[in-house]
Amino acid sequence: MKRTIILIAVILLFFPFICFAQSGKSIYQKYSDADNVSAVYISPAMFRLIGKIPDLEFNESGLNLAPVIRSLSGMYILNSENPSINASLGGEVDRFIQGGRYELLMEAKDDGEVVRMYTVGDSKTINSFVMLAVDGGEMTFVCLEGQMPRDETERLIAESVK
Amino acid sequence: MKTLEEIEQLSIEELEGLAVREAAPVPDGLQERLRQTLAAREIAEAARPRPARWIPYASLAVAAAAAAVIALPQRGPKDTFDDPRLAYAEVEKVFRTISDKMNDGVTLVREAEASAEIPQNILNKSKK
Repeated sequence: MKRTIILIAVILLFFPFICFAQSGKSIYQKYSDADNVSAVYISPAMFRLIGKIPDLEFNESGLNLAPVIRSLSGMYILNSENPSINASLGGEVDRFIQGGRYELLMEAKDDGEVVRMYTVGDSKTINSFVMLAVDGGEMTFVCLEGQMPRDETERLIAESVK
Repeated sequence: MKTLEEIEQLSIEELEGLAVREAAPVPDGLQERLRQTLAAREIAEAARPRPARWIPYASLAVAAAAAAVIALPQRGPKDTFDDPRLAYAEVEKVFRTISDKMNDGVTLVREAEASAEIPQNILNKSKK
C-alpha cells in the first residue's frame, strides 16, 4: 500500500514535465517579457481573421500566401539582443528541436552568422517550422505551427532564391 | 573430558546417549533474566518514535497539488496585433525574412560550387 502511494506520488511529480514538454509557445512565454527582447505572437483566431481578408490571394511579389496562411495555427517570434537571454534561448531551442523530432532543413554559416531551419511533419504536410538565426549579439527565433502544405510552403520560402 | 579425536571416533548413537546423560545444567535465574531482557527491549521499542502514518498521504497530496497547479490550463500569450491586416503584413515580413536567410544559404552553396569548378577546369585543360 505504502509503495503504491509513493509510486503515485512520483508519477504525479513527473506528470508536469511529461505533459509540458517544450514548445514554441512555452519558449515564447518564457522570454517574451525579457529586457531587450521583442516578441510577436499571432494566434489561431487571428489567422482565421487573416484568412477572411478578401484580397489575401496574392502579395506584392505575386506570391500566393493564402493556402499557407490559412493553414497556420500559431506564429511565435522572438528577437533578442540580450546576451544572457541569447545563451539561454539557444539552449532551450536546441532542446526543443532534439525533443520534437525535427529535421534540419538548412544550415548556413557565414561571417559569424548562423542560420538553422528545421521542420517536422511528413511528405505532404509541415506541422511546425522553426528558424534560429544568430548574427553577432542578435538572436532571432521563429516558430510557425499549423498544417502547412509542404509544397506550397517550400515554394514560398524558396521564391526569393530564384 | 574427552579429546577431539575421541569424540570424532564416536558413532551418532553414542553421541546422542552422551548428550542425554550429560545434559548441561541451566544457570540459576536464566529464565528470569531472559524475561527481564525481553521486557526491557519491548519498553525501548515502544519509546522509539515511529514514522507517522500520515507522511505518505501528505506527500501524495502535495504531489497531486503540484501537478494540478502546473497542469491547469494556463492563459496563452496575447495577440500582438488587433488588426488582421497588420498581422498579415507581419506574416509576409516573416516569410520574406525566412526567404532571405534561405537565399543566403543558397548563395553560399553557389559560391562553393564555383570554387569546386576551378580544379575541375584545370584538370579538364590538362587532359587536352
